[in-house]
Amino acid sequence: MTERTREAVANTFVDVVEKLTFMFGEQVSIDDVAPGTDPWVEARMSFTGDVQGSLAVIVPQELQPDIAANILGIGAEAMQKPEVLDDALREMLNVICGHVIRAIAGPSSRFDLITPVNVELDDDELKTLMADPDTTAYLLDDEPVLMNLKFERS
Amino acid sequence: MAFNILLVDDSLTVRAVIAKALQLAGVDIGNLYEAGNGAEALEVLDQEWVDLVFADISMPVMTGEEFVERLHESGTIEDLPVVIVSSAGSEPKIQRLKELGIRDYIHKPFTPEQIREVVDTVMGVTSHD
Repeated sequence: MTERTREAVANTFVDVVEKLTFMFGEQVSIDDVAPGTDPWVEARMSFTGDVQGSLAVIVPQELQPDIAANILGIGAEAMQKPEVLDDALREMLNVICGHVIRAIAGPSSRFDLITPVNVELDDDELKTLMADPDTTAYLLDDEPVLMNLKFERS
Repeated sequence: MAFNILLVDDSLTVRAVIAKALQLAGVDIGNLYEAGNGAEALEVLDQEWVDLVFADISMPVMTGEEFVERLHESGTIEDLPVVIVSSAGSEPKIQRLKELGIRDYIHKPFTPEQIREVVDTVMGVTSHD
C-alpha cells in the first residue's frame, strides 16, 4: 500500500465514522494495537470495476454494541442481538468502502460493491492481518480498529 | 398529507436509520414498508400504494440498479419518486440512474436534514420546522 493510499484510507475512515457513528477516530501505529483477549470480528467486502479487490474492517467483538448503538442512536445496552451488531458493522464497512474507492480511483470511477460478510477471527488470523503491510490501525473512541485493503487497478 | 414510504435496503440498520431520520425530519408518514432487495420491493409495490421509495444500490437478489431498470421499463418510475441512498454511487452510475428516472441521490452517511430536503423537494412539500 502506497503512502498516498494509506492516507486516503485513514482520512476516509476518520471522516465516515465521525458522520456515521459520531465516534472519534484517529490513525495509530499498528504497534500501538494490543489484541487483548476478546475475540475480533472481521467484516470484508469485495469490489469490482475500475479498481478491484477487497476492504475489511476488523474490530474487537466488545466494540460492536457501541458501533451499532451509535449508528442507530440508541443505548449500547440495548444492542445485544448478534444479527444487529453484525449488520451495523457491515454497514459501516459498506459506507467506508464506497468512499475509499472514490478516494483512490476518483469520483468518475466505475465500480460495484459486493455484499459484505462477517467472520470471527482466531488468534493466528488476527496476527497474520496485523503483520500484513496492507493493514492500517485506528482508535475509535479509544478502542482499536484495523482496516485491510487489497486492490489493483483494472 | 401523510406519505406511504418504502425503504429498500438489505441492511436492517440502514432501514432503521432512514426511518428515524424521517421521523426526526418531521415527515408525515402514513405506512412505512420495508424490503431487503429490489425483488421484495417490487412485490410490495404490487400490493401496496406507495408514494416515495428510498433504495440502496448494492443488494443481493436484485440490486437497486436492476430495481430502477424494472420501474423504468414498466413506466412506474414516472409517477413513483425513487431516491437512491447509497455509498456505491460513482458519477457514471448516478448519471445513469438519473437517466432512468430517479429523482435524487443521497450519499451515505446522510443527515436527517438531507432526508428532509429531499422529501420536501421530491414531494413538493414545505419545511416541517
